Amino acid sequence: MLSINLKKTWNSFVLDVSFDIPRGKITALFGPSGAGKSSILRLICGLEMAEDGFISNGNETWFDRAKGINLHPQQRSVGFVFQDYALFPHMTVEKNVAYGVKEKWRMKEIKDLIDIVGLSGYERHYPAQLSGGQKQRVSLIRAIARKPDILLLDEPFSALDWQTRIQLQDDVKNIITQFNVTTMYVTHDVSEVYKLANHVIVLESGKEVKRGTPEEVFLGKRLSTRVQVTGKVVGIEHDSIMASVTILHADQFFKTLIDTEELKSLNLAIGDDVIVGVKSSDVILFKI
Amino acid sequence: MNFAAPLLLSLKLSSVTTLLLLVLGVPFAYWLVFTKFRWKFLVESVVALPLVLPPTVLGFYLLIVIGANSFVGQWYESIFNKPLAFSFQGLVLGSFLYSLPFAVQPIQTAFSSVDKKLLEASWSLGRSNIYTFFRVILPLSRHGIITGCVLSFAHTLGEFGVILMIGGNIPGITRVASVAIYDEVQSLNYGTANMYAAILLSFSFIILALVYFTNRRFTRTM
Repeated sequence: MLSINLKKTWNSFVLDVSFDIPRGKITALFGPSGAGKSSILRLICGLEMAEDGFISNGNETWFDRAKGINLHPQQRSVGFVFQDYALFPHMTVEKNVAYGVKEKWRMKEIKDLIDIVGLSGYERHYPAQLSGGQKQRVSLIRAIARKPDILLLDEPFSALDWQTRIQLQDDVKNIITQFNVTTMYVTHDVSEVYKLANHVIVLESGKEVKRGTPEEVFLGKRLSTRVQVTGKVVGIEHDSIMASVTILHADQFFKTLIDTEELKSLNLAIGDDVIVGVKSSDVILFKI
Repeated sequence: MNFAAPLLLSLKLSSVTTLLLLVLGVPFAYWLVFTKFRWKFLVESVVALPLVLPPTVLGFYLLIVIGANSFVGQWYESIFNKPLAFSFQGLVLGSFLYSLPFAVQPIQTAFSSVDKKLLEASWSLGRSNIYTFFRVILPLSRHGIITGCVLSFAHTLGEFGVILMIGGNIPGITRVASVAIYDEVQSLNYGTANMYAAILLSFSFIILALVYFTNRRFTRTM
């Protein structure tokens, strides 16, 4: 288990978090931009140092301010997948993936990894010759090739178009499951959390505000506002999916918060018919 | 008098100086880029001084420091049994200092321009600073290193003021091509001076063109 207790201040922003990451699971750090998600990954990796707290991976202490322990990134068993890939531009795909592998006899495994993500035939290509999705696949297997205890993914899909993103999410989930590596994953996309994560920790302004399974965090345990619909995809264009839907289940009441002035202007009374609007960004689609 | 001797001496001086600048300039540039030393700006200012100083000023102070009556001069003479000033070794020292910014600054700029994410990726993949330097920083900075070397070489080749101050005009020892041109003009041998000048001009042009060509190819392949 990865245990984290970190405190760090950047000007007026204070990051103060404490949580445990279960082994072999995918934990999403979810929150708006500036919530401190990426900073947590950088602190775990050792790319930045906290002012106080500790990071321990099982029996191994990576950072402990009180004891004066602060291992270099090289000494921590982590794999870091950067948002913008951070592939070495002067190295081929094969060289990139093998970069962190110190044992020459493992070169066969490198070829297998390249094969797993569908990049066979691209071994001698340079990053500039790859698409965004291919680059991120290389970045992922490069991090995994080192066989890290902890895999850290910093918004790995944010630079990709939605089609690539959806396909890559499946690949990432398969690879992480196959290698059974403890994973922390930063995102501000609810659908990605549902698709990938076993657990989610919601951050706001450097503090944890919620944690649990995606269902617990986003829908609430009592499902008081849950609506389930089913339907068919009828169109896909640009950045949206259109689906025709049938309501399967809805709780009896929806509650929405609006300010008093707005309530007055709506002039609503009990028994009035209303249209319920749902923002498209709050809709999650699953393939069934 | 041997026509080729000053040219060969210039080439020898430029080669030795460039080699020294490469060996010492690369780690120095690395230190300048990555150090958190608070007075770094003072070190950078000292390195850049030859860019703005008249060469005679640098030559004058060097002469004071390495002259026969100075501590350094006497120490050198006690070990090597010959003076440092007005020797080839003295010229190398002067050329090294005079061309230092031409070597260090392009290399420093190239090191700084390597994306920090790549260094972080290397560290997160378990690789040390030294491994990262040789496998990531150095290959991605090769255009800066080539530029630094060529500029140092060309700058040393055209050096005049410093050499005249600390080396004088001793044939076969300190009489480099740039000094030979001055000497020939003083003797009204414009033809010989012109030949030296034309060779230096052509040589400088060719190596600069090679640098720009190499850098263009490098930019295209990245």
